Amino acid sequence: MEITEQIALTVLMGLFLVGIAAWLARVENWRTYSPVGGGATGGEAAYGSEEKPSGLIRWLTTVDHKDIGMLYGAFAIFAFVAGGLMVIVMRAELMDPGMTLISNTFYNSLLTSHGITMLFLFATPIIGAFANYFIPLLIGADDMAFPRINAIAFWLLPPGALLIWAGFLPIPEVIPAQTGWTMYTPLSAGVGSGNQANAGVDLMLLGLHLTGVSATMGAINFVATIFTERGENVSWANLDIFSWTMLTQSGLIIFAFPLLGSAIVMLLLDRNLGTAFFVNGGSPILWQHLFWFFGHPEVYIIVLPPMGLVSLILPRFSGRRLFGFKFVVYSTLAIGVLSFGVWAHHMFATGIDPRLRASFMAISLAIAIPSAVKTFNWITTMWNGRLRLTAPMLFSIGFVQNFIIGGVTGVFLASIPIDLLLHDTYYVVGHFHYIVMGAITFAGMAGLYYWFPLFTGRMYQRRLAKIHFWLWLVGSNVTFLAMVLLGYGGMPRRYATYLPQFATLHQIASLGAFVMLAGGLVWTYNFVVSWLEGPHVEDADPWNLKENGLRTNEWAWFEQKRETAITDGGEESETVTDGGEKVTDEE
Amino acid sequence: MDDNPGLSEQYRTASPWPLFVALGIPVSEIGLLFDLFPIAVGGLVLFCGSIAGMIDEVGYVEAPWRPLGALAVLCLAVGAVLFVAVSQPTRGAAVIVAGALLLTGGVAGRLFVRDDAVPV
Repeated sequence: MEITEQIALTVLMGLFLVGIAAWLARVENWRTYSPVGGGATGGEAAYGSEEKPSGLIRWLTTVDHKDIGMLYGAFAIFAFVAGGLMVIVMRAELMDPGMTLISNTFYNSLLTSHGITMLFLFATPIIGAFANYFIPLLIGADDMAFPRINAIAFWLLPPGALLIWAGFLPIPEVIPAQTGWTMYTPLSAGVGSGNQANAGVDLMLLGLHLTGVSATMGAINFVATIFTERGENVSWANLDIFSWTMLTQSGLIIFAFPLLGSAIVMLLLDRNLGTAFFVNGGSPILWQHLFWFFGHPEVYIIVLPPMGLVSLILPRFSGRRLFGFKFVVYSTLAIGVLSFGVWAHHMFATGIDPRLRASFMAISLAIAIPSAVKTFNWITTMWNGRLRLTAPMLFSIGFVQNFIIGGVTGVFLASIPIDLLLHDTYYVVGHFHYIVMGAITFAGMAGLYYWFPLFTGRMYQRRLAKIHFWLWLVGSNVTFLAMVLLGYGGMPRRYATYLPQFATLHQIASLGAFVMLAGGLVWTYNFVVSWLEGPHVEDADPWNLKENGLRTNEWAWFEQKRETAITDGGEESETVTDGGEKVTDEE
Repeated sequence: MDDNPGLSEQYRTASPWPLFVALGIPVSEIGLLFDLFPIAVGGLVLFCGSIAGMIDEVGYVEAPWRPLGALAVLCLAVGAVLFVAVSQPTRGAAVIVAGALLLTGGVAGRLFVRDDAVPV
C-alpha cells in the first residue's frame, strides 16, 4: 500500500512537472517571445503595451508593477472578504452566551484564521497593491528595481493562503489550526493532550512562512527602488510622504520578518524533528520573545503605509499641503526605530524581570509622541482648510478618529499596572481592532476610492460610497467600543462562550459587525457595478487637484496615458454619442 | 517616446518563470517537512529549474545549463549534510536525488541541446 502510494505520488509529480515544462515551452518558446492564449488585443489596449500577452497568460506571467499591484489588490480583497465572513460567523455565535451555532473548536479555528488572514493576507498585500502600483509612478521610476522578484513575491501569496486555510479544505485528517494568530508555545508545538499536533498546524506555519518570504522580497525591492530608481526631479527633499512611509515600512520588514521566518522554522523543527527550542526542555517564553520582536514591528509595518496614504490624501481634499511635512517624516522614522524596543509590553503578565518591564513601558509610552505628532499634523492640515467631503476624504477623517481612540486605549495598555488588569481581555481586542479595522482598513478604503478613477478609468457611485463610509464608521465604533467596555468588565478574549452578564455588550458588538457587513455589501456592489458600468472620468484630474497645485506624479502619468490612448486610436469618453454607453475592449 | 507614459510598457513585461519559482518553494517545503520523497524531489527540481530559467532569461548567462549545474551541486552538498551530519537519511536522499536530476539535466542540456535551438 505504502509502495503503491509512493509510486502514484511519483507519477503525479512527474506528470505535473512535464505539464509545467510543456506549458513553459509554449509560453516561452525558448526565449523567442510570442503572445499566446488568444489574440494580441484584450487587456493590452488599457495599457497601450505591445508586449503583454493577453487573457489569463498576461496575469500569470506579468512582471509589470501596475499589473502586479492589481494582482496584490485582487488577492488582498479576496482575503479581506474571506476573513470578514469568518468573523461574521464568529460574531453570530457570540450573540448567545452558550455554544449554539458552531462548535467551540470551530470557533477557535475561525479565530486563528481570521487574525492571520487579516494581518498577513489582507493588510500586508493591500499595502503591496498601492505601493506596487503607485511608488514607481510617484517617484518617476520605470518600474520596480527587480520586476521578476516582485512577481515571485506576489506568487508566493496564493500558495501561502492555501496552506494557511488548508485545515478548512476537505483534506482527510487535516484540521484547522486553533493556536490563535500568536501561535504561543507549548500549545502550538503540539505537545500535551490537545489536537494541535495535527498537520493542519504545520501547513498553516508553512503558509505563514511563505507570506513572510514574500513580504521580505517585496521590502528589499521597495528599498532598492526608492533608493536607486527615482526620477531626475525626485530628490530626498521632495520625496512624497507615501514613499517615505513605504521606505520605513520596508526597513522594518527586512529586520522583522526574517525573524518570524526563523522562529517558525524552529517551531516546525520542534514539532516534526524533536528539537528543543520551545518545548521538550526548551523555553516556551522564548517563542513569545521571538514572536513579539517580529510582532510589534508588524503593527507598524501595517500601519505606517496607511498613515502615508492618509497623509497623501487628506491634504488633497483640504485644499492645502500637509502641515509639518518634515515632522510627519521624522515621526515615521521615529516610530520605525522605537518599534523594535517595545515588544515585551505584550509580555508584562509573563513574569519577566520588573526592571525590564519598566524600560519597555517607557519606550511604549514614548511611541505616543510621534503618533500624536502625526495626528496633530493631520488635524492642523484640515484646520481652516477648504474641506471637500468626498469618500476618500471621509475615510481619511474616519481613520484619524478611529486612530485617536485606538491610540489612546493603547497608551493605557502600555502602563504596566493597567496592563496587568486588562491583559487578555476584550479591551485589548477593542484597542487593536480600532487600529487594524478602524484605521488601517479605513485608510485602505480611502486609497481605493481615491485612485478608483485612475485604475478603472471610471467613477464610483458617490452616494453608495458615503453610505458605505457611514455604515462602517458607526459599525466599527459600536463594535469596538462595546469590546473596550467588555474588557473593563473582565470578559476574557478568545472564548466562544461567556457568562450571561456579558450578553448585552456582546450582542451590541455583533450588531455593529452586521452593520459593517451591510457596509461591505454596499462597497462590493458599488465597486463591481461602477467598474463595469460606471461613467468614464472626463478628464485626468477627477479630484481637481491642479487648482490648488496639489497634483502628484501618478495623476500626471494618468493624463499622459489618456492622451497616448487617444493618439493610439483608443476610445475617449467624449467620443461616445449614445449617452455614455460604450463597448470597450478592456478586461 | 516621452508621450508613452510608464517606461515599463516599452520593454518586456512578461516572464513565465516567477510563478514557478514561487510554486517550487511551497512544494519542496511540504515535501521535505512531511518527508514525502516525490514531492520534495519534484519541488526542488521545479524551484531550481525555474531559477536557472530566469537567470538565463534575464541574460546573466548565455544558456541555463551552467546555473542549473551550480544549483545541482548546491543540492548535492545540502543533501549530503542532511544525510550524514543531521541524520535525516530520507530527506537527505530526496535533496540528493533532486540534485542528481538537475545535474543530469544540466549536463544533457550542455551536451545535446544545439546552440541554435536557444535563440539569443
